[in-house]
Amino acid sequence: MVSAQTGNEKQYRQLLDELSDVIHRYLISRFGYHDFLEDCVQDTLIAIHNARHTYDGSRLFRPWLFAIVRHKSIDALRKRKSEQAKVTHRGLEDLETNGYAIDTCSSQEWDTSITQGRLINALAPPFRQAIVLTKLIGFSNAEAAKHLRISETALKVRVHRGIAKLKRLIEAEEA
Amino acid sequence: MSSRDSIIQSLSEDLQPVANSVAVDSKAMLWFVLTAFYVVLVTQWLAPIRADAFNQLVTVPRFFIESLLGLMAIVMLTLAAFRAAVPGRLTTRFAISGLALLALWLGNYVYGLIDPTLEPSMAGKREQCWLQTATMTLPPIIAAVLLTRRLYPLSPLRTVFLFSLAAGMIPALYMQIACMYIPEHILGHHILPGLVVGVLGCALSLFYRR
Repeated sequence: MVSAQTGNEKQYRQLLDELSDVIHRYLISRFGYHDFLEDCVQDTLIAIHNARHTYDGSRLFRPWLFAIVRHKSIDALRKRKSEQAKVTHRGLEDLETNGYAIDTCSSQEWDTSITQGRLINALAPPFRQAIVLTKLIGFSNAEAAKHLRISETALKVRVHRGIAKLKRLIEAEEA
Repeated sequence: MSSRDSIIQSLSEDLQPVANSVAVDSKAMLWFVLTAFYVVLVTQWLAPIRADAFNQLVTVPRFFIESLLGLMAIVMLTLAAFRAAVPGRLTTRFAISGLALLALWLGNYVYGLIDPTLEPSMAGKREQCWLQTATMTLPPIIAAVLLTRRLYPLSPLRTVFLFSLAAGMIPALYMQIACMYIPEHILGHHILPGLVVGVLGCALSLFYRR
C-alpha cells in the first residue's frame, strides 16, 4: 500500500488482486456463501482505493484494512433489499420440502450455505430468523412477518437489532 | 474478464500518487491547542475572569485535580475524534476510556452538589455565560471538520459527535476559571450548553465527502 501511495500501478494491482481473495474468504467465513458478497468485495476494493491516502505506513495494515471490510459488509447487509436477493426464492413450501427448517433457520439436507457464516449463527434465533429470511433468502418484510407470525413493525425491529448485533460481533473481532 | 477484475483494472490504471495525510495525533493536538488559545482569548476579551481563580488552582488541590481531569478528558476526546476519521485508527478501548474520563469529570460536579470543591460563590459571575460557551464552540467544530474532511471516517456521525463534544467541553472547562463557581450553575450554564452543541454539531457530518 505504501508503494501504491507513490503511484506504483503494478504493485497496487497485485495488492488488490490478493486483497480481493482475502476479503472474499473473510466474508464467506462470517456470513456464508451469498450472492451479495461479490458486490461487497467490489465495494470494499473501491473504498480501499478511496481511502488509500489515510493508510499510515508506520502502522499495521491489517487493522486499517479490516476496519473498512467490516464497515462495508455491515453496510451492504443493511442496504440489501429483498428484491436484490439472487438466491433462488422457491417459496416457503419448497424450502421446507428440501429440509430447510424455517423456524430455526437451520438447514439439514438442503444447501447449508445460508447459515454457514459464523456471525449469522451467533445471533439469537429471533434475530437470525429475521435477517436470514429478509436479507439472505430474500423474503419481503410482509412475507417474513407473516411466516414468523409477527407484525411487520416487529420484524423490522428484529432486523435492525440483528444488524446492530452483527456489527458489534464483527467489531469485537478488532481486539 | 470478471467484474471484479474489471474493477481492479480500472482502480489501478493511471494510479495517481497520494500524499499521506495522516499523523492524526499531531493534527489533533494542533487543533486542541489552537482551540484552547481561541477560547481563552475570546473569554478574556468578553469579560475579565474570576479574580482568584488561578490562586485557587494552586491552593486548592481538589480544584486543581478536577480541572486536570477535565483537561485529560478533553484531550482524549480530541484524540479519539481525529482517530475516528481514519479507518482502524480508533480502538473501542480508547474511545470508551475517553468517554469514561469525561463521565468521571462531569460526575465530579454532580457530586459537588452535595460536597463542592470550592466554596460556592457568585464571584466572577458572567452575563450569559451559557451563550458564550455555546457560540464559542462553532468555529472549532467547523475547523475540525475542515481538517479531517479529506480523511475517510467510516462513521462521519461518530467523528463529528466526538469533535463537537470536545469543542463544547473546552469552553465549559475554562468557564470554571472564568465564571462563578457554583456546581448547579456549572452543570446548567457551562456543561449543558457544551453537551447540547455536541449533539447539534452532528449535523455537520453531512459535509464529509463520500
